[in-house]
Amino acid sequence: MDLNYTPEDIAFRKQVRTWLEQNLPTEEIRNLEDRRAWHRKLYEAGYLGMGWPREYGGGGARPMEQAIVADEMARANAPAPTNSLGLGIVGPTVVVHGTDAQKKRYLRKILSAEELWCQLYSEPNAGSDLAALKTSAVDAGDHFVVNGQKIWTSGGAIADWGLLLARTDTKVTKHKGISCFLMNMRQPGVDVRPLKQITGSSEFCEVFMTNARVEKSDQIGKLGEGWGIAQTTLGYERGGRALARITNYSSQFSRLVAAAKRLRRHGSPLIEDPVTRQKLGRIWSEIEVERYQALRTLTLLERGEHPGAGGSLTKLSYSEFEKRFMEFALEILGPYGQLTQGAPEDFKLQIDTAVGDNGSWAYAYLWSRAGTIYAGSSEIQKNVIGERILGLPKETRADRVGGKT
Amino acid sequence: MNFSFSDDQVLLKHSVRSALDEQCKPEHVRAMFDDARGYGDRLWSEMAKLGWLGLPFPEEQGGAGLGLVELGIVLEEMGRAAYPGPFFATVVLGGLGIQLGGNAAQKDKWLSAISAGTARATAALLEEHLDWDPASTTATAAKSDSGWTLSGLKRFVPWAHVADVVLVPARTPAGLSLFLVDPKSAGVTLAPMVGIDLTSRWSEMRLDRVAVGADAVLGQPGAAGPLLDSLLRRAAVMSSAEMLGAARRCLDMSVEYVKVREQFGQPVGSFQAIRHRCAEMLLEAENAHAAVYYAAWALTAGAEDAAIASSICKAYVSDAARKVCGDAIQVHGGIGFTWEYDLHLYMKRAKALEPLFGDAQFHRELIVRHVASAR
Repeated sequence: MDLNYTPEDIAFRKQVRTWLEQNLPTEEIRNLEDRRAWHRKLYEAGYLGMGWPREYGGGGARPMEQAIVADEMARANAPAPTNSLGLGIVGPTVVVHGTDAQKKRYLRKILSAEELWCQLYSEPNAGSDLAALKTSAVDAGDHFVVNGQKIWTSGGAIADWGLLLARTDTKVTKHKGISCFLMNMRQPGVDVRPLKQITGSSEFCEVFMTNARVEKSDQIGKLGEGWGIAQTTLGYERGGRALARITNYSSQFSRLVAAAKRLRRHGSPLIEDPVTRQKLGRIWSEIEVERYQALRTLTLLERGEHPGAGGSLTKLSYSEFEKRFMEFALEILGPYGQLTQGAPEDFKLQIDTAVGDNGSWAYAYLWSRAGTIYAGSSEIQKNVIGERILGLPKETRADRVGGKT
Repeated sequence: MNFSFSDDQVLLKHSVRSALDEQCKPEHVRAMFDDARGYGDRLWSEMAKLGWLGLPFPEEQGGAGLGLVELGIVLEEMGRAAYPGPFFATVVLGGLGIQLGGNAAQKDKWLSAISAGTARATAALLEEHLDWDPASTTATAAKSDSGWTLSGLKRFVPWAHVADVVLVPARTPAGLSLFLVDPKSAGVTLAPMVGIDLTSRWSEMRLDRVAVGADAVLGQPGAAGPLLDSLLRRAAVMSSAEMLGAARRCLDMSVEYVKVREQFGQPVGSFQAIRHRCAEMLLEAENAHAAVYYAAWALTAGAEDAAIASSICKAYVSDAARKVCGDAIQVHGGIGFTWEYDLHLYMKRAKALEPLFGDAQFHRELIVRHVASAR
């Protein structure tokens, strides 16, 4: 056990920090083209797709190096690149499960943000029970015809391509009839409508597919293997943002402490109130415990091991923590915490949280509600932990009794 | 950066586990409930032979020269076994205290005897007001012709009734000082304080003009504050390791039980209400593990954040162990509330440690002092 960073890692961190100091955008990012330009700059510096194979434009970097880049970006409050699902989910899926031709065709354009991607998994009636999805892909000889509806498609409005799960066989058990495809979003059969969330913004979309076309060459893996592929992709992103997440929490916490020094209660600074101090102490403990856990995860990844179901513990831990954090933050900030406009400088968040609007505690609070629902709700994570780590018996479920959907 | 046990550390864990599985079965733990001293000599000599008693002490004093990660591994296993005996009091409170503040003669005498299993030690860190801040000490030591005269009242002194030496903080004109006191000295009165956890023995220790020699001062007179802070941090983290072990045992017992206990025609572990609770228990245990071993490493390595990591550890693990052990009783149902079922041994062990060396609230205040002044 040695929790010091190696001299190589320290040197690499310094190099990244210097690069960011010299290259951070001086002007605010206003539109997609600005963000694409920043994205390309990051890519050219070798800071995107760092773990992907070199022959497809990746950097062949270690997990720690990836985590350091993300961490330094968080520290510098650097804008996020675009194409997060392309980088986080689609690319790694193609790297692991794609054919050589698919890798050649798609990977570089994901890295360069020439093509933006979304993920077409959830459906109105297939949320936690994702395997109940009904969108169909029917073999029409030289291509597949896709019909159905997807929901909670992040970035759907700007996506050129989508990673699609669709049912190709209705006669087998539900998990076995699902296949995985790459679908062109820029075609007449695909209709994307923004979904307005409780944040008032529309980062998610609904996607309607009516006789949409998917080429045979864009099938990932074999028919019926889609469920297994989707299971592995859910874990890809874990680790890469492990340190960056903590650095964001830490910046948010600093803002919160500063605010508690400015606010007053019963005639004294709020920071002197014992109840508030207890809350701050609890939050900081939890942030640090998340950091220790991130170091454990990185240790595993550095050894080439996959956290497997342990990823469910990580996700459960930080997403539930974020809710507690934001609830405490809003208790401390009072009505300032709910402002989306007109907040004085001291009571703005001013941190790029990678989701929603940069800068308001109110949005960060609302967004914290999403984290325990998306990418497997907390309840689903607990099922996974119970069954796959603790070895508890599976529950009796109607869909397991009959053996068919 | 490597946050995992080395091969040697894994080996140590296995060897402690198997020794305690063999010699510290629940029957042994229960047998000690009614024992006057509360622990067995056979296991104590075995621990000396296995090198556990000298684990963190230098080789010159018969120790193994290892750090707090290794000591934490041993203590986690002791919590897991609800080991009844003065190991923690002797090695952590007494031994580490002497190692931190003692002069060469004091270390030679006591650390060698502790490592060899021939001496037991402890520290009297608490008075009647239950303030863990060493600055709150009210016991006094006055200079005498031959040394010092100590008076005061200490409470919750672990295993004082079997100790050969007690570290006693007291005020002197020069400031807070730390003394080595033989609890059999004239003027010392010990009275048992019996808690719900019968594997932990405490005494009230009354000092009425107790005479100690000039060589009984640990460190410089007046300079005990920082020494006691260091000792308290180590005690906080090492007691957290014990709580972690107790919590792990409660979790393991729960998981095994809910797999076989049937209600409504199926194992109760198949119900989400139970399974989700078990998943939450595992999460707390894993986070507690990270908090314990991070802090143990930080203290050993002298890391910049060692002090705050110690407080984070005790604050987090106190809460986590309470939840895990409490939930364990809940998922067991009625059987978990019976005396004959072993669950309460571990639950009570964790409960006993929860308020010691600063509870979660105490440490959260220390954490805020660090982070609020740094921001």
